[in-house]
Amino acid sequence: MNKKMKVFSGAILASLTAASLAACSGGDSGKTELEFFSTKGENNKTYQKLISEFEKKNPKIDVKLVQPPDAGTVMKTRLTKNDIPDVMAIGGDSLYGELARAGVLKDVKGSDLIKDVQPSYLDMTAKLVGVEKNGVYGVPYAANANAVIYNKDKFKELGVEVPKTWDEFIAIAEEAKAHGETGFYFTLKDAWTGMVSWNSLGAALQGEDFAEKRSKGKASFTKNYDEAADKFQTLLKYGHKDNFGKTYNDGNTAFAQGKSVMYLQGVWAIPEIVKANPDINLGIFPMPVTNNPEENKLVSGVDVMLAIDEESDHQKEAEKFIQFLLEKENVQTYVDEQSAFSAIKDVYQEDPKLEGIKENFEKGTITSFPDHYYPQGMNAANILQEFLIGKKTNKEEFLKKMDKEWDKVEERK
Amino acid sequence: MKKRGSAYILMTVPALLLFFAFHTFPTLQGIFYSFTNWKGYGDFDFVGLKNYINVFKDDRVVDSYLFTFKFAIISTLLVNLFSMLIALGLNANIRFKNTLRAVYFLPNILSGLIVAFIFNYIFANFLPEMAEKFGINSLATNILGNPDLAWVGIVIVAVWQAVAFNTILYLAGLQTIPSELYEASSLDGAGKWKTFWHVTFPLIAPFFTINMVLAMKGFLMVFDQIVAMTGGGPGQSTESISFLIYKGGFEGGEFAYQSANAVVYFVIIVAISVVQIRFLQRREVDL
Amino acid sequence: MKKKTNWLLTLLLIAGSVLVLFPLYMAVMIAVKDPQQLAESLLALPDKWHFENFTNAMEMTNFWNAFSNSAVITVFTVIFTLLTNSLVAYAIARNMHKKFYKFLYYYFVSAMFIPFPIIMLPIVKEMTALGLTNLYGLIFLYIVYGLSFNIFVYVGYIRSIPKELEEAAIMDGASTWGVFWKVIFPLLMPINATVGILTVLWAWNDFMLPLIILSDQDIATLPLVQYVFQGQFSTDYNLAFASYLMALTPIVIVYLFAQKWVISGVTKGAIK
Repeated sequence: MNKKMKVFSGAILASLTAASLAACSGGDSGKTELEFFSTKGENNKTYQKLISEFEKKNPKIDVKLVQPPDAGTVMKTRLTKNDIPDVMAIGGDSLYGELARAGVLKDVKGSDLIKDVQPSYLDMTAKLVGVEKNGVYGVPYAANANAVIYNKDKFKELGVEVPKTWDEFIAIAEEAKAHGETGFYFTLKDAWTGMVSWNSLGAALQGEDFAEKRSKGKASFTKNYDEAADKFQTLLKYGHKDNFGKTYNDGNTAFAQGKSVMYLQGVWAIPEIVKANPDINLGIFPMPVTNNPEENKLVSGVDVMLAIDEESDHQKEAEKFIQFLLEKENVQTYVDEQSAFSAIKDVYQEDPKLEGIKENFEKGTITSFPDHYYPQGMNAANILQEFLIGKKTNKEEFLKKMDKEWDKVEERK
Repeated sequence: MKKRGSAYILMTVPALLLFFAFHTFPTLQGIFYSFTNWKGYGDFDFVGLKNYINVFKDDRVVDSYLFTFKFAIISTLLVNLFSMLIALGLNANIRFKNTLRAVYFLPNILSGLIVAFIFNYIFANFLPEMAEKFGINSLATNILGNPDLAWVGIVIVAVWQAVAFNTILYLAGLQTIPSELYEASSLDGAGKWKTFWHVTFPLIAPFFTINMVLAMKGFLMVFDQIVAMTGGGPGQSTESISFLIYKGGFEGGEFAYQSANAVVYFVIIVAISVVQIRFLQRREVDL
Repeated sequence: MKKKTNWLLTLLLIAGSVLVLFPLYMAVMIAVKDPQQLAESLLALPDKWHFENFTNAMEMTNFWNAFSNSAVITVFTVIFTLLTNSLVAYAIARNMHKKFYKFLYYYFVSAMFIPFPIIMLPIVKEMTALGLTNLYGLIFLYIVYGLSFNIFVYVGYIRSIPKELEEAAIMDGASTWGVFWKVIFPLLMPINATVGILTVLWAWNDFMLPLIILSDQDIATLPLVQYVFQGQFSTDYNLAFASYLMALTPIVIVYLFAQKWVISGVTKGAIK
């Protein structure tokens, strides 16, 4: 009488074993499948194109592109699962630092992969890893910039020029308002979009070593970010009527349709804007945060770093794929289509739309994203969003909260 | 006889072991990690009660409890109110009874995530457009972008969907009431309202209890709608407990800390559940 | 005696049902227009129907792949849930007078009240360690996690079945297994329908478990795919809504054909 049960439980066991075996083997027909995980989604089409070219040249390798929303959280889930994608394209931010410190990224120091990378980007990203580890865990590929995107036609209509100082900048917004136009199209339903301007303001007013000073107790939001908070509130006066109800996607479309004169975003938004309206005549300039043009720098960071899973079974194929992406013409394709700047020597961004910030890259008047050095998990974007809405926290409370959350997260470590 | 006993053992023990391995064991593990500083990977140390102390000091956690309970209580009440009314209506002498019943039950079979996406559009585009047409300025912006109103948006979606299930339960309850009772009541000259309070409601009271319990339990776990509609924002005004544990535990790299939060949540749920189980046991007696 | 139709109430209920149907109507209207038409009018019928939105969305999200994943998960979960959970419940129901089984009953049932978030993080680790972050693992979890509620429902039902039927079978020399499969299981059909329907709705619509368990995009379920493609839909609402509708359609079709059955099944589960 126990026979049936045995058969039954046997069947379950067998199906489970089959399941786990299937999970382990994966590959078939001698093709290698490379998982390529990207934390940003704007470059989907470009990657697709590059991948299909790569697959044509390497018929034995299948590259599977994965670009989930909220990719940072997904990546952390994968880290918990110890299920690291073979190749990753991640932003040069605190996520990179954490992955590198967790020891899951392959050290490519001294390898061919980084020989053409501009050294300044290697320095910038090394800082994210910290001093505990002395390696290079990713290849800086493309750089981005925080800036003000503007509608050239509307500037002409208003009769204004690209501003060099904060006062000029606000005067334009004022002028726009006087003509019944929206100065800035805010998209603060997506909390992170507030950080774009926050970084521009913070970098110019506080410099890039704020985090370091903050950790040593030499600086704090309360003491040092007062002006940045004030200035952000000033910007907000020139928004539209639903600043907190629109998302990043809405904003790209709205700006493309000429619903605002300026748009406070990064260069990564440009391909999306152009997609929504290919005829738009747009330009870009670094946000002038102070009235001294000398102090106004462009906030730029590494937008894409290519990294390899330390324990991938397909190291060779992964390297081959990165090698391919790093070929000059492919880098060129990437920067052209994504309005990005190249982290690779001898590849330049020639798009006239980006003329306005080219000089910063040439002269090196660049500074990095302050929030890349904030502790993870402090949820700065949402705290900022709350402050901007202005219902729950005023400026003092907001700055205090930023300090408090920072300490709290540090304290929990 | 012994043989029969062993058959029963064989029927239950594998299930017991599997359930233990995949449900109880992870629960215990969660409790275990809550006393460490584990990030979800790598090494960890024991930190004693530190995580718990921090949980209680953390405004973000406290706010998420306040939001979750506010949301759950209000949604539960609204769902029960609406579904009771609809069920009373469906139980009356109306036309198209079956079609109407089918329509009202429809939301129950739909994916909560997708329903939330659809409502997202309504709040972001349709409502502001309508409000503008009719000159209602207070609604001309996306309510999900307003920290005072965003939770209302989530309540609307949750209630829209949950009314379906509870209506069907009330309807089932109403159908168990013999029509003679109503006739007797109307012979006594009792008005409609009186009939409801003195005849109908006491008879469906057990359904009321069950409905309250089931609805409340579901709403305390709210997750899909938050992911789809607000991501916890604006600010942190719609961060539910489940969402915070997921978000903070994975993204924030605070696996252990959020485990402590989960344990606290667990204790609270257990406290509520003790009451709930007593209701369920009372049902047992009725069987 | 036929009573008079209450027309006022009928009208009120029809008005109420508009509230239920409106979001779905709107979704359909968005899905069959192009952005231009959408900008002109949200709710009017389009002059030209853009059914290509559906084919485009299908291609973009690899709809059939996600559909078959969801279908496989749902079908296997339901079959195994019915076969196994009823068996466990039977053993418990017939031995409730014994301490061990009484303990089992409360052990399973009280687990209903353990909030999922506490398990969320460790189960991800555990499933990974076992190599089960795939469809099989997900099906397996649904079956195991279903035990709590299903045992509650099944036990209540089985205890209402008179023991005489089994005793007669036992007299004929049937084993306990034989009694269950030949006598009890067929009698469970009404409640199997209930458990089956609730399991279908759960496995088909669930978002959280697939989100944390499945990391490979090829095995994503329909709801998960809608989430994953949020970024790529961007502001192409027409495409997005076409995709949402396709994800909802299969279960709505089932519902249209089995509506009465579904409603009565769900009702029984809750009031039994």
